[in-house]
Amino acid sequence: MTPDLIADGQGIHGLGAALIVLVIAVLRAAVPILFAALGGLVSELAGCINIALEGIMLVAAFFGVIGALYAQRWFPGLPLWLAPWLGCAAGLLAALLLAGLLAVFHLELNADLIVAGIAINLLAGGLTVFLLATLIGDKGSTAGISTPSLPSLHAPGLSGWPLVDQLLNGESGQGHHVLIYAALCAVPLLSGFLARARFGVWLRATGENRAAALAAGIPVRRVQYAALMLSGLLAGLGGVYLSMGYLTLFQADMTAGRGFLALAAVFLGARRVRGVLGAALLFGAASVLATRLGALHWPTQVVYMLPPLMTIIALMVAGRRRRRITNF
Amino acid sequence: MRQRMKQSMEQGTAQAIAERAQHSWRLPLAVFAALLVGLGMTALVSGEPLRAYLVLLTGALPDIGWSAEHGLQMRRMARFGAVLEDAATLTFLGLAVALPFRARQFSLGADGELFLSALAAAAVSLYLGGPAWVVLPAALAAAVLTGFVWGTLPGLLKVRYNASEIVTSLMLNLIAIQFYRLAVASWMRDPGAGFQVTPLLPAAATFSSLLAHTNVTVMVLGAPLAAMLAWVLLMRTTAGYEMRVAGSAPAFARQAGLPIGRTLVLAMGAGGAFAALAGLHISNGLLKRLPVDLAPGLGYDGLLVALLARNEPRLIPWAALFYAYLRTGAQAMERSTDVSREMVLVIQALIILFVVTDRLLPQRWTDALTRWRHAS
Repeated sequence: MTPDLIADGQGIHGLGAALIVLVIAVLRAAVPILFAALGGLVSELAGCINIALEGIMLVAAFFGVIGALYAQRWFPGLPLWLAPWLGCAAGLLAALLLAGLLAVFHLELNADLIVAGIAINLLAGGLTVFLLATLIGDKGSTAGISTPSLPSLHAPGLSGWPLVDQLLNGESGQGHHVLIYAALCAVPLLSGFLARARFGVWLRATGENRAAALAAGIPVRRVQYAALMLSGLLAGLGGVYLSMGYLTLFQADMTAGRGFLALAAVFLGARRVRGVLGAALLFGAASVLATRLGALHWPTQVVYMLPPLMTIIALMVAGRRRRRITNF
Repeated sequence: MRQRMKQSMEQGTAQAIAERAQHSWRLPLAVFAALLVGLGMTALVSGEPLRAYLVLLTGALPDIGWSAEHGLQMRRMARFGAVLEDAATLTFLGLAVALPFRARQFSLGADGELFLSALAAAAVSLYLGGPAWVVLPAALAAAVLTGFVWGTLPGLLKVRYNASEIVTSLMLNLIAIQFYRLAVASWMRDPGAGFQVTPLLPAAATFSSLLAHTNVTVMVLGAPLAAMLAWVLLMRTTAGYEMRVAGSAPAFARQAGLPIGRTLVLAMGAGGAFAALAGLHISNGLLKRLPVDLAPGLGYDGLLVALLARNEPRLIPWAALFYAYLRTGAQAMERSTDVSREMVLVIQALIILFVVTDRLLPQRWTDALTRWRHAS
């Protein structure tokens, strides 16, 4: 896409347009990872590493599509714009339920958080394919039927500024997906919440030192419940975006490791909101690069190796920086 | 010093055994509960849930029949062979998870170790050539070495840089799987095949079948042997002893001056070596060529097996056999009823969840229950 755009654009304007196209593509690819990574960050800061991000995203993606589909089938008189929102609600509800399941098993029944998280991932993988085969009759995807997607927001009155128009409304001029804006809003909101809100401070205190937080009178268990649920909600938004924005269908295993990349983004971003945003954008850029190379018949696998490799290197650098007595 | 440590270890073991005896009903209960929830789900979606479940639970058995003109007949042996093949894979993977577990290391890296060692075994088999007694040991050595080295990486990163082995092993999995795909699609691809797959391995490099119509090879017999080997390593060698101490009493091990770092790395490497046997089994025993889309996630099956066997190497083959039986039954269920085989994944997840719970009821409920009992 870039070479021909540069060729027929005029100098600086063409370059700007190409850059904008690239930025938008990176943003689109980064949003699902960003949502899930913010979720992972919240639970990680509360001292609960959430391995189940992948499964939660997958379930949200599935129930988003299925919810929208069945909303149309069950209530034929429904206004057309409402069905995808009902689907979105169904997806988020499923994500919350799954995160709640993880929280109950970990906090009430003393299950190991990591093993329980893996179990949740397996449950999500099995359940979505099982229900897909049962409800749709196809184990691969919902490609055979058209499913609704959430709307895009169009900023009006920008025809005078073509570059701004392209940035805010995309190449096709339809605007950006509503969840892209939601993700961009979530970053400062979460940052402020963690730094300022009393609950945010409690959350960080719990993760820093559980015993001290308990002694200080912080309701540790309730904080960890809330952190896991919020983490599920954010990962669920990422999943809903995947199936009702990034694509408009559900595929078996469509998260394709994004939940684990999100977990990596938490550590690559040094457990800070701004760092997580940067890491998610980096991973989004890697995914865009891989797609572009794939179009040129280059081996894309090398590019897919970069995000995990960068995470390992970041962990090594961080470990070298605060080299303390290792306790295992 | 060692003597004293051994004494206290034995006391600890006695306690653990007592606890285990107390909770011995929990494992069957967890499995039963998971199967029950599965039955409930089947009843929701299926027209004939009971028959579907019957097929799930008995479908993997061979059909033994007796008739006057044909004598003793065994049908569906291929299906039972599939159970044994799968059980071997699961045994190796269970050992790969269990050994690091005993040193209290959460290695989720079995996937990556398996992919890379299968690749190494296939590469040696394809490019070395020669008679079976040269190629097979060479493939075994290549696979085990690859698995061991790749397995030690999370351990090294943890000891050297204090990086969580959970995160690094997950990242190393992603890297290993992409490398595997790169290698199969770019360097080892069979140009004659319609899809991305390596050429068929030469006959000398594959294990021959011991049972007609199945892939039951010597590797299947090797699985229990590997479990015994792991047991000997863990219970009868100094290295294994150090792994157990580092896992069950890390503070004590540090005080006693055990080489904890080296022990952790070794435990994770040993896990990798066992995952490598699964890789060899898959490449040279089952598939005899490697497709680009070999499904990741096998490492999690190893986790289930290790949990079911409570990380005891001698029990791992039995746990593997149980799960392989269930999985093969699920395939039979999918073929002959309207329930899809992914049901067994749900059951697997539920078994894991139920097995790792410490309590049957939330603490608050049991507390309330005791208070209520005391009050009345």
